[in-house]
Amino acid sequence: MVRFAALLRRHGLPVTPEHVSDGVRALEQLDLADREEVRTGLRAVFASRPEDFATFDRAFDAFWRVHTDADRVAEALAPPTLPEHAPPGLERAGRETLALDAWQEGGEEDGGDEPVGVPAASELEALAARDFSTFSPDQLDEILRLTLKIARRLARRISRRRRPSARRGRIDLRRTLRANLTRGELIDLRYRRRKRKKVRLVLLCDVSGSMDLYSRFLLQFLFALQSAFSRVETFTFSVRLTRVTDYLRARSYREVLRRLEAVKDWSGGTKIGESLAEFNRGWPALVDRRTIVILLSDGWDTGDPELLAAELLRIKRRAGRVIWLNPLLGNPSYEPLTRGMAAALPLVDRFAAAHNLAALRDLAGALAL
Amino acid sequence: MRDEIRKIQQLMEAADYVTDAPVATSVHLATTLRKPLLIEGHAGVGKTEIAKVMSRMLATNLIRLQCYEGLDAAAALYEWNYQKQILHIKLHETSGRSASDEEREIFSENFLLRRPLLQAISQPDQAPVLLVDEVDRADEEFEAFMLEVFSDWQVTIPEIGTIKATHPPHVVLTSNRTRELSDALRRRCLYLWIDYPDFDKEVRIVQLKVPALNQTLAREVTRFMEALRRMRLAKVPGVAETLDWAHALAALHADHLDEALVSETIGAVLKDADDIKRLRAEVAKSGLGPMLATP
Repeated sequence: MVRFAALLRRHGLPVTPEHVSDGVRALEQLDLADREEVRTGLRAVFASRPEDFATFDRAFDAFWRVHTDADRVAEALAPPTLPEHAPPGLERAGRETLALDAWQEGGEEDGGDEPVGVPAASELEALAARDFSTFSPDQLDEILRLTLKIARRLARRISRRRRPSARRGRIDLRRTLRANLTRGELIDLRYRRRKRKKVRLVLLCDVSGSMDLYSRFLLQFLFALQSAFSRVETFTFSVRLTRVTDYLRARSYREVLRRLEAVKDWSGGTKIGESLAEFNRGWPALVDRRTIVILLSDGWDTGDPELLAAELLRIKRRAGRVIWLNPLLGNPSYEPLTRGMAAALPLVDRFAAAHNLAALRDLAGALAL
Repeated sequence: MRDEIRKIQQLMEAADYVTDAPVATSVHLATTLRKPLLIEGHAGVGKTEIAKVMSRMLATNLIRLQCYEGLDAAAALYEWNYQKQILHIKLHETSGRSASDEEREIFSENFLLRRPLLQAISQPDQAPVLLVDEVDRADEEFEAFMLEVFSDWQVTIPEIGTIKATHPPHVVLTSNRTRELSDALRRRCLYLWIDYPDFDKEVRIVQLKVPALNQTLAREVTRFMEALRRMRLAKVPGVAETLDWAHALAALHADHLDEALVSETIGAVLKDADDIKRLRAEVAKSGLGPMLATP
């Protein structure tokens, strides 16, 4: 059992010593001649989410065949085909891959005509006004750090704004009674205010082609802000929708970047409507009146604009607020004329850019209900 | 198969719950290893029902804690009955008792409101089944609090003292996966995932729960539901909806499905205007045939 547990652990299942002893105890309760019964029994002990079932079954088949067919074990163990825990992207990410290379090109191109003589109020302000895509890769690191710094400061401000004021709300009987115990009369009333629920955020980020860079910045920014929210749920989409909330639990933004790299699907084109439909089907309960839904996309949609409008309406009906961020809006000559964008605009509560630090800072002000 | 598991399966069937080996095995392990059983699955596949059947099977009480956003320790564990306390103080104002006597009096068990978790701990005769329903709706802080209670099954009330469970309850937690539960919680539980039942199992469920429905119709209804679940609707109907529909059809004394009947009763199954519109369009286009065909 210990070795079986080690095998599971090697394949990414979070197995603890307690699991092992439970496994042993479970075996005492199971009919060892009944393979399926042992399988379902041990699965109940070791695999704690449906996504783990496939891994468990593979490991189970491989391991409990040891005495009959040793070769198959080696074969089954050789390729650790585990998309979630050992994504291929991890291996090749010595340096940030493709997308970053693209940034490099863009950066150098524009880096030449950097406005050297702009008489900005401060260096920070100048940086804040510059489009993310105009930075070179080593500058990006610096900018990202700056973004996080600003985000942390904003997070403190948002949470301070929420502190309830005294002397309002319902009477708190528990504390009132306590305070007046020795008086026999309820003189000193204590009040209680309904605990204010924090806002929930749902992020839907376009990671196709040119949007990738902006998505990363937004994700980083909002992730640093997350203490101000009760929950941040994050999805990325291009052609398909992927829930990346769990990938973002990493400590450092570098690791987050690497993990994002791993979940990225590289196929071209964006199907916003389909992705939203997938979101509505798969996670309907994530959106309620206390939720702000943020969609980041340039609106270049290869899908059906009617579907986009229908699905967006579905979200809008349930959400507290819908914000569409479009980095192209940072360009003064841009007009939202793509069919997808035109269909979506009437349904959006706030349409803003997210192409530079200043825009992100403005966004933070709109994240309260 | 182990006799105990077969027996559980029989007991569950006897309690009108159609089950299969994984469910019975999990219930068996949960009751013998005395670990909480975490059940996840789509809405309406009978997660809550398992706890009810378990309590019937073990002939014990079912205590239910329904979770919601903002649920806190007070609402789950205990509260003092303040109104009664104030009344008591008022009534005995002139009795001249000392304040400390008074305090001892009003913070006694008579004034304690036992909420589900405390009830579950203080059952005198035998271990109850504690159902923590839709635990994904509660906040993460509450999850942590619950884990604390589950770990040693004792609760300290400052005014009374520590209450330790004589019979730690059998715990069943259900979740619809609206949010990911913490790993800490998952680690402490046995896990059971319930999927939509296959055709035969669902037919059996319908026949068991709605015996008034004839067999042809039961099979038609089940086929139709299977087709619906393949349609990628906004709100995919579960077994609960199948049964609602079956009850509705039985009440109408229907003996087979036709377009008019489906159109009149579909409100029992689909709860979203767009979904209904989609189904109507589908049926108008190609009739009921494809919905009732064997896949």
